[in-house]
Amino acid sequence: MKKGYVQVTDSYERIVHWMVALSCLLLCVTGLGMMFQTFNFIGAFFGGLKNLKLVHNFTGLFFAISLGLVIRMWWKEAGVFVFPEDLEWIKAAGGYLWHVDKVPETGKYNPGQKAFFLVVAGGGILMILTGLVMWFPMSLPVGLVQWMYPLHALGFVAIFAFFFIHLYLGTIGNPGSVDAMITGWMDKKVLTMLHPKWVKEMEHEGKLVAWGKEKKNNAHGHSA
Amino acid sequence: MNISRRGFLKMSGAMGGGVALSSLGFNLGPTRAYADELNKMNRIRMARQSTTICCYCSCGCGLVCSTDKGTGKIINIEGDADHPINEGALCAKGAGFFQMTEANEHRLRKVLYRGPGGDKWEEKDWEWALPRMARLIKDTRDKNFIKENAKGELVNRCEAIGHYGSSNVDNEECWLITTVARALGVVYMDHQARVCHSPSVGALAESFGRGSMTNHYIDMQNADVILIMGSNMAENHPMGFRWVTKAQERGAKVIHVDPRYTRTSARCDFHVPLRSGTDIAFLGGMINYIIENQKYFKEYVLNYTHASFIVDESFYFKDGLFSGYDADKRKYNKDTWVYEYDASGIPRRDMTLQHPRSVFQLMREHYSRYTLDKVSGITGVSKDNLLKVYEIYSATGVPDKAGTECYALGWTQHTVGVENIRAMTLVQMLLGNVGIAGGGINAMRGEPNVQGSTDHAILYHILPGYLKTPSASLDTLEKYLTKYTPVSKDPKSANYYSNYPKFMVSLLKAWFDKAATRENDFGYTWLPKMDDGKHYSTMHMFDRMYEGKIKGFFCIGADNAVSTPNASKVRKGLEKLDWLIGENIFDNETYQFWRAPGVDTKNIKTEVFLLPASASMEKEGSISNSGRWVQWKEKACDGPDQCIPVGEIEIKIMQAVKDLYAKEGGVHPEPILNLYWNYLDKDGHFSATKTAQRINGVFLEDTVIEDKAKGTKTEFKKGQLVPGFGNLQADGKTACGNWCISGSYTADGINKMKSRGKEDPTGLGLFPNWSYAWPVGRRILYNRCSVDLNGKPYNPQRNLLEWKDGKWIGDVPDGPWPPMAEKEGKYPFIMQRDGLGAIFGQGMADGPFPEHYEPLEGPLTKNPMSGQLINPAIEIFKSDRDKIERASKKFPYVITTYSCTEHWCSGALTRWQSWLLEAQPEQYIEMSDVLAKEKSIKNGERVKVSSVRGSVTAVAMVTQRLKPFTIEGKTVHQVGMPFNYGWLFPKDTKDDTTNFLTPTVGCANTFCPEYKAFMVNIEKA
Amino acid sequence: MNKPELVKLIDTTLCTACRGCQVACKQWNEMPGLRTKQTGTYQNPPDLQWNTWTLIRFQEHVDKATGKFQWIFRKDGCMHCTDAACVKVCPSGALYHTEMKTVGIHREKCIGCKECVAACPFHVPRYDAKTDKVYKCDLCYNPISQSHPPACVKSCITKALTIGPKDEMIKKAYARVKKLGGDANVYGDKFVDGTHVIYILQFKPEVYDELPVNPTVPASVTIWKDLFKPLSLLAGGGVMGGAFLHYMIHGPKVPHEGTGVEEKKGEE
Repeated sequence: MKKGYVQVTDSYERIVHWMVALSCLLLCVTGLGMMFQTFNFIGAFFGGLKNLKLVHNFTGLFFAISLGLVIRMWWKEAGVFVFPEDLEWIKAAGGYLWHVDKVPETGKYNPGQKAFFLVVAGGGILMILTGLVMWFPMSLPVGLVQWMYPLHALGFVAIFAFFFIHLYLGTIGNPGSVDAMITGWMDKKVLTMLHPKWVKEMEHEGKLVAWGKEKKNNAHGHSA
Repeated sequence: MNISRRGFLKMSGAMGGGVALSSLGFNLGPTRAYADELNKMNRIRMARQSTTICCYCSCGCGLVCSTDKGTGKIINIEGDADHPINEGALCAKGAGFFQMTEANEHRLRKVLYRGPGGDKWEEKDWEWALPRMARLIKDTRDKNFIKENAKGELVNRCEAIGHYGSSNVDNEECWLITTVARALGVVYMDHQARVCHSPSVGALAESFGRGSMTNHYIDMQNADVILIMGSNMAENHPMGFRWVTKAQERGAKVIHVDPRYTRTSARCDFHVPLRSGTDIAFLGGMINYIIENQKYFKEYVLNYTHASFIVDESFYFKDGLFSGYDADKRKYNKDTWVYEYDASGIPRRDMTLQHPRSVFQLMREHYSRYTLDKVSGITGVSKDNLLKVYEIYSATGVPDKAGTECYALGWTQHTVGVENIRAMTLVQMLLGNVGIAGGGINAMRGEPNVQGSTDHAILYHILPGYLKTPSASLDTLEKYLTKYTPVSKDPKSANYYSNYPKFMVSLLKAWFDKAATRENDFGYTWLPKMDDGKHYSTMHMFDRMYEGKIKGFFCIGADNAVSTPNASKVRKGLEKLDWLIGENIFDNETYQFWRAPGVDTKNIKTEVFLLPASASMEKEGSISNSGRWVQWKEKACDGPDQCIPVGEIEIKIMQAVKDLYAKEGGVHPEPILNLYWNYLDKDGHFSATKTAQRINGVFLEDTVIEDKAKGTKTEFKKGQLVPGFGNLQADGKTACGNWCISGSYTADGINKMKSRGKEDPTGLGLFPNWSYAWPVGRRILYNRCSVDLNGKPYNPQRNLLEWKDGKWIGDVPDGPWPPMAEKEGKYPFIMQRDGLGAIFGQGMADGPFPEHYEPLEGPLTKNPMSGQLINPAIEIFKSDRDKIERASKKFPYVITTYSCTEHWCSGALTRWQSWLLEAQPEQYIEMSDVLAKEKSIKNGERVKVSSVRGSVTAVAMVTQRLKPFTIEGKTVHQVGMPFNYGWLFPKDTKDDTTNFLTPTVGCANTFCPEYKAFMVNIEKA
Repeated sequence: MNKPELVKLIDTTLCTACRGCQVACKQWNEMPGLRTKQTGTYQNPPDLQWNTWTLIRFQEHVDKATGKFQWIFRKDGCMHCTDAACVKVCPSGALYHTEMKTVGIHREKCIGCKECVAACPFHVPRYDAKTDKVYKCDLCYNPISQSHPPACVKSCITKALTIGPKDEMIKKAYARVKKLGGDANVYGDKFVDGTHVIYILQFKPEVYDELPVNPTVPASVTIWKDLFKPLSLLAGGGVMGGAFLHYMIHGPKVPHEGTGVEEKKGEE
């Protein structure tokens, strides 16, 4: 954080993000340990495969709570597509796949990010529900229970794939982005490149906080 | 890889150290053992293997116990793959044998005592209990001893002490038990055989000369037709059914006739339901069919039975009664039931079988009344089914076909028990099925050693070896021997019982040794005597007990409170005892009668001793299966804690009594003081070997035996064992506890009961070198009937015996004499006075020909066959609890009671075993769906079952396997209940014994109770 | 040492339902007997349980065609499938195929996830909450691997249960079915690539309680294990690879110096 940086997230956003992110990561790792017998060795880090299962199950509960907070926090901004702007951006692939002279201006979250949110929200809910049934498989008819497993696997396929995209684009793919989730401050130049419309909105509403010029009692970027 | 069933015995390998015992199926904690994880095979390999015989039904299956060398505890029990009968297989009870070891927490481990008025057990020990018991025994005996009866005859008995049990202990122990009882002067002595197969002994001895199963289990594989009637074989003699299955494999037809469709019926060719209590009608119809359609094997009937004998003119049968009936006494005078004799004293015969007074024609006339219509009306069996069975079964009346009948308590537990069986003996004799491979009458006994306990006579009416208990009028040994030694003038009759004196004297010498001399009639007068014509069976004993006349009671390996009929009468009787001595491996309702529901515990003054016994695999000894195989069991381990074998308990109790009499004197001390009582080993423990040798017989002096016929002289030294009953002497030179078993040792002391030879030279499954079959190793009795008069087998394909080059080859011939055609030849039924199969039963209490009578309590008011509704010779008990209600709307359903595979008898052993209890957890009553619908009873609902004597609850099992019968034009419902449950255990039991319902009445000849046919009502609970 | 593929044959037409096998299994495997209730049937326990790995099912049946009554007995338990759904789903490899091709169970590896309980087309595995593990018949792996018969087979009174090399047993089964005639059929050799427990049935399979007529590995299991599982790796790996390539080729998105507008960096 230094001169030229602006505040983009507050602590609540970041905490909740990491709650979901880390629990999701743990779920993926522990889940992998049980999904593939080759990865059973992961159990060794947890004191046995049985413990792995326990960690996975209880982390799932934690994930459920965190996801609830995430959805509550972001569904309006990150869960709703705004047309026709988002469509334009999609058509241009956000400028990520091929050169685009002028990338359509994005607000706080671009359609790519929105898609990711939806996958995590929807997929996450799917994982939680199927996971709960898998935890207590005797509570429902077996014909129904049998389908929980492939659905859980499907959710994983989607989340896993999107996770890597999110990881790439949130780190080395867009240098300067990861700060948003660590310190909460970003280089204004990078922010302006990525989310010009949001910057304009914040400046217009007087909500943009620049480094060194923090106002008191500010609420940023989200309706908490 | 060869999947082999064998090899456990070969697995005792390296001398390993003790292996830690794992959880044994009882511990419900988180660390459960798992066979694979523990590599159980290895644990077994490192253990010590020993063989034993199953302690349930009488199939005599072999088991292997693996005992951990370190802990000395059994870690595994499974089937003995080398055993010819079961070949490693086991039914549910045998498979669960492990739960009878000390691993079962419910095993009795300490001497328990209940004082007068007490409401719980106190733990004591042997040192405390033995003197106390001896004191009670002596005092009761001295106080109540009867030297002379009302007639002034010397009887030397004590009627105030009763005894019951056990068919579930080893032969050697049985013999000791009977010895103790006789020495004490007890006459009310009985055991499970009474309520089980006593009629078999009565019937088979009457027809053939010996009271036991004629063939054996493996032999059933040789049959062409198997009739299972009076038995639910697949459930109660499962291993016997293994051989039925083998026969089926070879194309045999198997028929099941039974009131219920059971697990047996499911595997038979077809099932014929019949009303329980009507078997004689059914069989009478079959006899009629065989005769009228000439299906009988004429040559056999002529030569091997006495069908040709002419019966005296004075004998007759009229309207249900035979000649000589005394209605007041309910007894027959049998003076007219005799034959006509020729000048030389041999019965006259008509070999054309046409003489109207011949046994054959009398039989024909008698059974001509059993027409298909009549039989169908009585039994409820359709005429089609009757003919079906008759046709198929009578097809075995030819030389190359064998038909066998397998029965058990379905026939014995009736007021006509003996006659049920007798009827079948007539069928078998007509068809020539006795004495052949795949034929015979397979009396499947119900307990592991009931054959042995019967042989050793823990019964009031016989002495070991089926000798007769002396009656009061026979005051000298000579009179006694004269009465019971049969005489035949016919040189062709071997009349083997003419050797009776040798058997009796040897028995007395075994008991009293040096003290028995010719001068004192070998101690004959010391024995207790029955009053002439009086009976002292189980039902009589409990009748007396109910009257308060019996003060002390031994209950060994039994549970009368559950298994004896009319349970309320039995339990009330127990309350009147001064003392009860119990010996068992688990507690049961009899030992805890003072705590039963509804009982006034405080006011019951009975002192009860419950002595912990070693279980079957915790002691060595022999037991005899139903096929007369006497098999030796090895000891796998010690009994837990204070447990000792019943044999040792008996020895110690008797020794304590002896000591008291020696010290104080007392009433009639002779049989006690003079009793030879040297059966402990050098460490002071029970020696089964010493006892077995005494039973086998020993030469008390140097003896020379001359065989004039063979011209040989054999010398035996004092102390040598008798190698066979042919060597017994009537002059006191031999001591023999039981002549039947004599020969189980060789003269050199080799124990043949331990033999494990797998050879089967005839291929018929005889296994002549496996264990010891009495008599003298003979596997199929009366086997000289399997050959013609010249000794050639009737069926060369099943060559059981053959006379070749002047000697017999095959099975041990039933009598070494040459075939009948030769000069020295003898008739084949050597134990019969007349040497022939007896169709006309002179010795029967209720008639020489089986006749259908209705059960004591049945659905009809009139017997369709005659004016005699019930068996005219049965004893009617008259206490206030002996109510009867027949043909009544209040109790309209015919009920039969039985056991199931998973439980055994009273359940006193099996209810404590969780594996078995899980499979059959509670009492149930089976009823047809038709009846259930009528009464709006749902499957699984608890109902109340009542008879005029009492009521119990049970779970209703509504099934299609029972169907209503049409009896004499009316619908009669048949229901059935097992009797395996009682109030004591499991603790959450809601029901009590089925025997609250049963009547105190039994077979006219042998007093086997009529558990199988009486009347009840059923209501929603 | 080469161990042959074994098949256990259950000839229901010889079974007398003596429960010798049911008890022998408990005896050998040291499983307890638990308290049950009489509900109007001989069948007890009422179903397979964690402590009851084989169960005799009793069924009263009237043949529609002949009107003949038959009390049917069927010994239920693990079928030891070749294409075993339980082995497929087991996350820890607790369920596995032995050298004799039976389905064994390494209980120490079981994590109690109960996936096999839902997957089995014969509804065999049973879960116990106290130990948090799943239980089923393992065809007595310990004895059979040392050429001894399984406890149930050894115990069987009428030889309704036999065991031997696969081809021999299937041949025996068909010969027996031919001898029996009528609706008698062999059950098991045609499903799930063949089971290692084969029945000789007196009636058509649909007659029997709790016996699936056409058992297969559930479609859900196939989709999950044969489709989604490899797909997840493909997807994840694909994306990772794609991201790597993207970075190499397209490069990161960085703002143009001073303008705040993206500038192309690196190669196209």
